[in-house]
This record gives sequence, structure tokens and C-alpha cells, in this order.
Amino acid sequence: MTNRRDFLRIGGTAFGGVTLPEILRASIGRTDISCIIFFQEGGACQHDGFDPKPGAPIEIRGGFGTVPTTVPGVHFGELLPRCAQSFKKFSVIRSLYSKEAIHEKAKQYVFSGARPNNAFKHPVFGSVVAKELGPKNGLPPFVCIPRKDICADAGLLGPAYDPFITGDPAKKTFTVQDLTLPLGVTLEESAGRARLLSALDEEIRQTEKSKVVEGMDSFYQKAFDLVSSAAARKAFNLGEEPDALRDAYGRSTAGQGALLARRLIESGVRLATIFHGGYDTHVENDKKNKTLYPVFDQAFATLLDDLEQRGLLATTLVLAIGEFGRTPHINHSGGRDHWPGVFSIAAAGAGIPGGQIIGSSDAQGGAPKDRPISVEDIGATLYKKLGIDYHKEYRTNGRPVKINSDGTPIRELSA
Amino acid sequence: MARNILISALLVAALLAAAEPRIEPPAIMLAGIGATQRVIVSSGVPSNACRLSSAHPEIVSVQDATLHATGIGVATVSADCDGMKLTAEVRVAAVNVPLEISFARDVISLLTTKGCNSSACHGSPAGQSGFKLSLYGSDPAADYQTIVAGHKGRRVNLAAPDESLLLRKPSMRLPHGGGQLMTAQADEYQMLVQWLRQGAKETSGGPRIQSIEIYPREQILARPGQRQSLVVIGRLSDGTTRDMTAAVRYSVDDEGVVSAVTNAAVTAKARGLTVVMARGMGKTATAQFIVPDRAADANTAIPPANNFIDREVFSKLSQVKLSPFPPATDAAFIRRVYLDLIGILPTPGETRAFLDDHHTSKRARLIDHLLDRPEYVTHWLMKFEDWFRNSQYYSQGRTNGSYKRWLAELIRTDRPFDEAAREMITAVGDTTTHPAGNFWHPAIDFMLKTFDVSKATPTVTRLFLGQRIECAECHNHPLENLTQDDFYGMAAFLARMKVKHGYAQYRRVWYNTREGEVLHPSTKQPVAPKFLAGAAPDIPEDQDRRTVLADWITRAQRLQFARATVNRVWAEYFGAGIVEPSDDFRSTNMATHPELLDALAREFIQSGFRFKPIHRLILNSEVYRLGSRAPGRPGGVDPLERLLLARYEPRKLPAEVLLDAIVQVTGVPQEFSNYPAGTSPKELVASIGATYFLTTFGVPRRDIMEPRSQAPSLSQALHLMNSDAIRDKIEKPGNVLGQLLEQTLDDRRVLDELYERAYSRPATDAQWELMRGFLAAEKEAGRTRRRAFENVLWAILNSKEFQLNQ
Repeated sequence: MTNRRDFLRIGGTAFGGVTLPEILRASIGRTDISCIIFFQEGGACQHDGFDPKPGAPIEIRGGFGTVPTTVPGVHFGELLPRCAQSFKKFSVIRSLYSKEAIHEKAKQYVFSGARPNNAFKHPVFGSVVAKELGPKNGLPPFVCIPRKDICADAGLLGPAYDPFITGDPAKKTFTVQDLTLPLGVTLEESAGRARLLSALDEEIRQTEKSKVVEGMDSFYQKAFDLVSSAAARKAFNLGEEPDALRDAYGRSTAGQGALLARRLIESGVRLATIFHGGYDTHVENDKKNKTLYPVFDQAFATLLDDLEQRGLLATTLVLAIGEFGRTPHINHSGGRDHWPGVFSIAAAGAGIPGGQIIGSSDAQGGAPKDRPISVEDIGATLYKKLGIDYHKEYRTNGRPVKINSDGTPIRELSA
Repeated sequence: MARNILISALLVAALLAAAEPRIEPPAIMLAGIGATQRVIVSSGVPSNACRLSSAHPEIVSVQDATLHATGIGVATVSADCDGMKLTAEVRVAAVNVPLEISFARDVISLLTTKGCNSSACHGSPAGQSGFKLSLYGSDPAADYQTIVAGHKGRRVNLAAPDESLLLRKPSMRLPHGGGQLMTAQADEYQMLVQWLRQGAKETSGGPRIQSIEIYPREQILARPGQRQSLVVIGRLSDGTTRDMTAAVRYSVDDEGVVSAVTNAAVTAKARGLTVVMARGMGKTATAQFIVPDRAADANTAIPPANNFIDREVFSKLSQVKLSPFPPATDAAFIRRVYLDLIGILPTPGETRAFLDDHHTSKRARLIDHLLDRPEYVTHWLMKFEDWFRNSQYYSQGRTNGSYKRWLAELIRTDRPFDEAAREMITAVGDTTTHPAGNFWHPAIDFMLKTFDVSKATPTVTRLFLGQRIECAECHNHPLENLTQDDFYGMAAFLARMKVKHGYAQYRRVWYNTREGEVLHPSTKQPVAPKFLAGAAPDIPEDQDRRTVLADWITRAQRLQFARATVNRVWAEYFGAGIVEPSDDFRSTNMATHPELLDALAREFIQSGFRFKPIHRLILNSEVYRLGSRAPGRPGGVDPLERLLLARYEPRKLPAEVLLDAIVQVTGVPQEFSNYPAGTSPKELVASIGATYFLTTFGVPRRDIMEPRSQAPSLSQALHLMNSDAIRDKIEKPGNVLGQLLEQTLDDRRVLDELYERAYSRPATDAQWELMRGFLAAEKEAGRTRRRAFENVLWAILNSKEFQLNQ
């Protein structure tokens, strides 16, 4: 506690009036790796995305063609032209498989790298990262954009490690919930309130040393620091970005979310998840993906460009993943249903070589053909990249809980 | 004379220790001539102060602290402890059957206690170095084959047991990645040798160990350095006993309190309470040790007891020389009991009336009065919905309304809980008209719309018996004598229930079928219904298996059913159960006050399984009235203070209660769409998503068996500090400030009104001085009186005193 509080004190005061790049140079160590997860909620279709099957019958390959990437012989679905152009920046695994076919469980699985069970709820990656690495620059370590998801929380670690929620950054009036002073309250007035509150709490602070009360106290400290921190205000202020760049990301929730994620990572957030919804195409798959994939294509490719230009790609692990893939066969409603058998993930940054296709799926895009990669492997890779011992165990009621069960870091993704 | 004083001092010490000193273990039956048993004298008497002797040395002789069977019959053994004489009868049976070692029971249990079959070693899915065991021995038959027949039979050598790989590896006579786990002299090693000599059988005949017991069961070790011997006795199916002191594996929960067990003894290290566990032959037993580490404190002030709760709690406190905190003031008490029992703040008028009441029975009358208020129902409904999982996720906001009403009616009428539990367990029919069936909804697989037996089974044991068996779904319970057979045996009671989904899933109908079985995951064979760690009942084909289960829980197991239920209620009042976690009863998780828990459970049974008598007992106790802080004595530092209930442990208000309290203090109702003004968040049918406030302060999902989280968080602090929702309540023109400032009250009166609403007490002079300074500074800064008080109100709502129940 003391350490954290001291740290926050530094975060709250020392950075006042300093520019963002200065803060960054001063505080982010070379080895600090952050993570952005671009989450394709609902389960993205492998056929229309990174694993097209142009040789398969129409009811399998679907209504879209392919586009060549910058790597000879490798094609993506035609809806991903920007990604195809940027393929040198990232790798694609085409042989990832899950074992859960229900959104809720499958999401918990890919968010945590641990298969859901009936005994306890495993913490998700961001919560483990928050616990293991702690906050940096007074910013919350784990952030979800734009909303809370019941499948993305700290589970047995408790709400102290739940994600911080931003709200929708694509809204014109976007401000982060509760992060700024209430309307009409000046900084000076707020300081007076804070002093009064501190005086009211003084007696309890002196006479009460239980964990819950000290915990409340430390979160209030943190909250005051966050509100008064120049770094935090800057990090969440998308208005500081040039219009041209905001346009380049796309004015969608996913686009502005990706931009916000970059700003947050830049400022000290350790893991940011962008929720991009709509991939659950049980009905009219093609029609939906025609509007959905371009949003992803633009946001994801721009994010990689932007990170690279700022020299951040080397220290940021970027993943694009859904909770499962979609059925090889198009159903009678022109849709595709849940398919954990095989799906694709794009991975970039943090030393991951670009332009690689890892593993492959069978001719229908229904099962891994070679180099099957498990969700646990993704977890082990993520923890290893971020410098967290993926063999570590927590305990809940005497039961050991591994942060990652039996996953192996994916060797092709190491630097 | 001096001698008499010494004796009476000893007697007093013995009485304080709550239990009579005696020779332990009790009821020894040595198995034939030559059998031995170690004994101790327990309960507050140091064993070395006693001299043991036998009145019948031809049957039992005594050497040091060990009994030796020398003949068949009954002997009287006595202990002379500084003038106090204790006696015990010891039998020697005319049998001499060596214990046969069973693979499934004994060898597997050894592999488990040594960690051989853990996921880090041979229990991992790939095994280790070519030797693969099932995780925690979940598949004994496969493990038997692996060990006896696998690796071309080289793992065992019946002719020369010592040459078996099974022994050479763990004793490191051959290189072993897991290191040396036993020496050739170790009891475990000898047990394996014996097993091999007996022919390496998969199962064994002869008497079986039914339970093991450890002594002393509860012991106070006055100060660091004090040593205490342990004895462990096994009770066999033929009635004889075995000395298992050297045949079990010991572990100490908190080695900061007492040392690890060496030579069957522990040494006290530092102040605290811990549990020592013995495991062997697949059985476990636990003992509790308290180290007060305090010089005899003549000032240990124990208040008079009001009921048996006080007697149990205070007796333990006096044993460890820990003074309870002074009782809470009347003002603190009324705020506390309102928040705990009816979940709202007392109004300033109610508080003043209570303070002005000078009847000695005013607290009891207040408690009776509150139990009759409708808010009692609403408040405990919130807890019942948590416990019995009225989850909006599984009924799309439809049938959980009827379930909510059903639970509310149960609380309002104080319906016998055994009846209600039975109705839930055996529920059939449409859940809109037969709401008890909603109990099962969280076990429905949401997408597949089928009933998931493995999700439902642990729910039943956990909610009604306080026993967690989830672990045993996938592997034998590592801490408990529970196997997959127990899990699937319990699951089999639910094998024939089915669910039908009506239009758009809004209605569900539970019904029973005549067929359907649960398959064991390793044998793939149907499993017959079997009670948890108990027998397999004969159930006629036409009988609903769930009625048999409900009978067993509420009748055969009624003491445990009652313990689990009162323990939940207790945890609501004291922040932790007598067994904690409150739904995790097992032999390795000992109650802090076992007698108290049993006494409460018996009261619950005698009152016909009604809750109100239990509320009355707890709330009228002096223990419940203890203060939460005392001058010069910071709370929350001493670990014993929380465990032994030396004070009322402060805790955060639950989400719904905090929101109601904010509404009460500010005088601005919370609006919920589609609900009338003045609705409490506890009355919502779907509270998740109703406001950001509730989700942020931790309303539970209620579909998984996680307790409601009461942990603080950053988002909570930010929300109370900065949100529009709170700002609106503070700034709304007609709110509490509007009303107060309209009257011509001076600043101190306004402040006292706010204090009485939020804290149930007026401001102290020192706080008034502080506020006066603040108000003056606000004026200086050019802010209006109203604005200045808005800032005061903000600080009050954000203060810990407001957010805590203490």
C-alpha cells in the first residue's frame, strides 16, 4: 500500500505542467511492454477475414473474394485491403481453436486463457496484469473501451482489479465517466472539499486499520490523484489528436477506441481492450460483414501504422481476436453460427515478426490442419511478452489457481 | 491451604477452558495384545504436569505417555495432575488383525498428500518422465494399472518390495525429478512396503478406518516457546482404534502462529489463531490452536453475558486475555441495527426517541419493532436473492419477479425454512406459477437450453449444507475426503429433472422423467444416487429422486442444514461466518466457535427453522453490541480481535443500502425507469444495468456462486466524488439543503441535521469548529451559504463514517 501511495503521489504532483512526451521519456522503461486487445465481439468469421477459402464451394467460401497481401502468395478476405497492405507489421495464426461455443463462456476463455469452470471465476488477462504489474503514472492499469463486460472482470481477484471503463470515445461529448470534476466545481473548490473530507475521515484513519477501510482510503487517494493528474487528463483527451488522424482511425467507436487505446498505452495504461461488436452474424452474414469489416480494417491498420510511427509498436503487443470463429457452412438464413473449431488471430508488436502465417486450417476452414494453437497458448504468449511468469499460481480458498494452465508461448511470435 | 489455592486456581483455569480436562483420545479400544496408543491430558492442563498410571497393569500398562495392551479386558487409566485426578476406561479387544493396505484408499491418499499426482507432477495431462497418474487420484483404477502393470511391471516388485521403482524413486535411490519425498524409515515408505508384501491389492478386506481424530482439538498455548504434543487416533469399522500419530501427514495453516509439526508436536510462535491438520488413510482431522502471547492481564474486562452467544464468545476472549471493545453508544447501536436488520438509516426523530427512551429493555423492543417493519423483508430479500440466486440473466427479467415475490413471502411470514428448501429442491411446474423452480435457473445452459446437472449439483450442497464439492467434478478433492464418486452420486439425484422452454424462453417448466442417468466421467457407466460421503439409498423407480434428496438434507442432515443456514445469517451481522467462508464447511476449515455454531443451529431447529428467533438472539447479544473502536486501540491490527469477535468489524454498506442511504440523507429519490418514484433499488427486478451506481458498488450477478463483493474500488471513489448522479442529489433545489436552509436555522443546527441524517449523531464541538472554519473560508471565496453547505454535504457523502456500518 505504502509503495503504491508513494508512487501515486509522484504521479499526481511531479507531472503537473510537463508535456506528455516528457512524461513518457521519464517514466516508461525500455522493457515495459503494454498490450492492446482489439476484441471482435460475437466471433469474427475466419473465411471473410484472415483465412479466406477461395477454392471452397460457394456455401463455404461465402460471398467475398480475396485480396493479395504484401507477402507473395498470402491473401486475406477482400474486406481487409488495408490489413493486406500492412501485413509486414503483423502475423496471423490461422489454426487457433477454442472449446467453448457459447458467447459468455467463450469470451471468458479468450479473455483469460483459462477455460471457464463451475468452481470459481478466473481473472482475465488485464486483471492479472493489473495485479502483477500495478499502475503506472497514476493511471489505471487495465482499461476497457467503451464499456464493462461481465466476461471481462477480475473474478476471484476482486473488483480492485476490474477494468476501468471509458465510455464511448466516438461520442461528440466524450468524457470518461467520473474522471473530471462535477460541472461547476473548480479545482480550487475541489481542493477545499478534499481537505474537508480528509478532516472528516481523520479519526477513522487514526483508529481503524482494517483492510477494507485502508483500501477505501487508498482508492480515494488514487481517485484524487487521477482527477488532478495532468497525465490522465491528457491521456483521455482525444481532442488533442489532429482531426486528420482521428479521421484516419475512423469516427466509429472501434476507430476512436483504438486511438484512445494508443493514447492510454502511451501514458501508462498496461492493457487496453477495445470492444468492437456485431460479429455474431447468425443472419445475413455477408450484408453485416460488408459494413463491419471495413471499420475493423481501417482501425486496426491505422493503429499499427500509428504505433509504428511513434516508435511504440516495439513495446506494445497488439492482438485482434474474437471469442470463436464461424461455421464453415452458411446457414439457411444466410448467416454463420458459432464455431470454436478453428479461427484466426492477428498479432503484432512487442517483437512479433511481421508477414507470417502461422498454422493453417483445413479446406473448409473448420479445423486446424497443422500447428494447432490453443487459447492457453495465447495466454502464455501474452504473459511472457509482458514479463509475467505464466507459471504463477494464485490461491482461492486453499485451491491453487494457475494464471495459465499448460499453455506454451508461441515460438513463432518471439522476437 | 496453599495447596488448596493451587488446586482451585487449576480448577478455575480448567473451567475457563470451557471443556473439562480429560485424558485424550477418549474411547480407546486397543486391537489385541501388543497394541499401543499415545495419550495426552488436554484442555488447559500442560501434560507434563500430570503423572499417568494404570489401575490394571495386567491389561494396560503405561510407559511415559503411551498405553500398552498387555491383556484382554477393561483397564482404568488415571492421570494425577497436581492433585487433580482424571480417569479414563481403556479397552483391549481380543483381535489382532493387521490393517490391510488398500490401493484405492491408502496408496492414492499417499500419492495425493505427497503431491505425486498434482498437476505440477505426474498428475499433469502429459504425466512426468513417462509416469502419468490421474489428477489427485480421480481415476484409481487407471492409476492401479499404471503402477502395478505399467512400465512392464517394473514399478512394483512383490518379491523384493524395496527394489520397486515405486520406492526407489521417491526415496532417491534412483534419480527423481521430484526430489526425495521419503526415507526408507518413513512411515509412508513402510506403508508402501506393507502394501507390496500384502500382494499389492487394489482393494482390501478387513476392518476399515472410518475416521481419524486429532487431540487436543482446541488448545491455548499461553506464550511463544510452549510445546504441545499431538495424538491422532483412527477409528475402525470393527470398533477398535489405532494409534495413527506417526501415520498421518500434518500441516499447519499459519506457521507464523505455531511451528510446523515435528515429532508429532507443535511449538507456539506468535499471537494468533491457527489450525493444525492431520491427513492420512484418506481421512482428515483438525485442531485449533490459539496463542494469546500476553502477560496475564488482570484488567481483562468481560461484560456480563446476555445469552449463550455472549457466554461462548466471552469465554474464549477471557481465555486469551483479550478484552472486548467497550459497548457501542446508543447512537452507534441504533444506526448499526437499522442498517443490518432493515437496511436503512434511522431518521433523526427515530434516533432521538431511542436515545430518550430509558427502559432497560429498549434495545430488545427496538429489535422486535424492526423485525415487524416491511423494510426487514425488503432488506433480507436482497440477501436471500443473493443466496438463492435470483439472477436476471436467466429469466430475461420475467420470472425472477415471481421468484422475488416468493422469497419475500417466505421472509415476511417467517416460513419454516426446511419447508421452503424442500419446495426449491423438489420444484416442478411452470416457474411463473411455481416460483420455487427459479432456484434451478442458473443451472440451465443458456444457449443449449438444457439443464446442466454438473452446474446444479454443487449449488445444492453449497446452499443447503454449506459444502463445496465443485472440485470433485473434475478430480478428487485435495483437502477433503470427497471423490468424483461423491460428486456424481449427488448429481444422480438430479438426473431425471428436465426443463421445457415456453414461448421465447420467457416461461420455463420443470418436470421429472422416468429415465435419465448421470454417467461417471471415467467409467462412462450410470451412477446410482448416493448421499454425499454417505450411503446409496434404495429409491423405487416411481419415486422422484429429488424428494429423497430433500428428505436427506432437511431431515437426516438437519443439523448441518441448520448450521449452514445460521452461519450465513451470522456472516451478515459480523462480516464473517463462524465458519468462513460461510459456505465452505469441511473438516479442514474449522469453526472459530464450534459450540456456538451448534447451539445456534439447535435453536434454529427448535424454533421450527424460523429466522426471526435467530435474528433476536444475535441482535440481543452483548457481542453484537460491542463497539468497533476504542480510544488508544486501533482496530484491525490484532488478528485475534476479528477471529474471536472482540469488536464489531466495520464494513462497507452494500450497493443498494448505500444508494438508499444517499437518498435518505439528500432527500432526493433515485429514479428508475418504469418504477414509481421512491422505489428502493432492492425492489428492482433487474438491478444490473439499472444504474451505473449499483453495478459499480457490486450488485452481484447471482448466476454464479460467488459471494457479493464488498471490496472498495477506484470506480466507486470516482463515482461518489465526481458523478452527475451524486451532483444532482447534492444540488437539487428542493433537497435536504433546500428544506433546511429555508428554515431560519443557524449553521450549527443545519450541520447537526445533516450529521444526524448521515451519522445518527450531532457534530462534536471539535467538528463544529472545523466546519465553522470551512464555512468562513467558503464565504471568503465568494460562495453562497447554499453552495458552502453543498460542499459539506459532498464531504459527508464521501466520508468513511457515512459509507461504513460500524
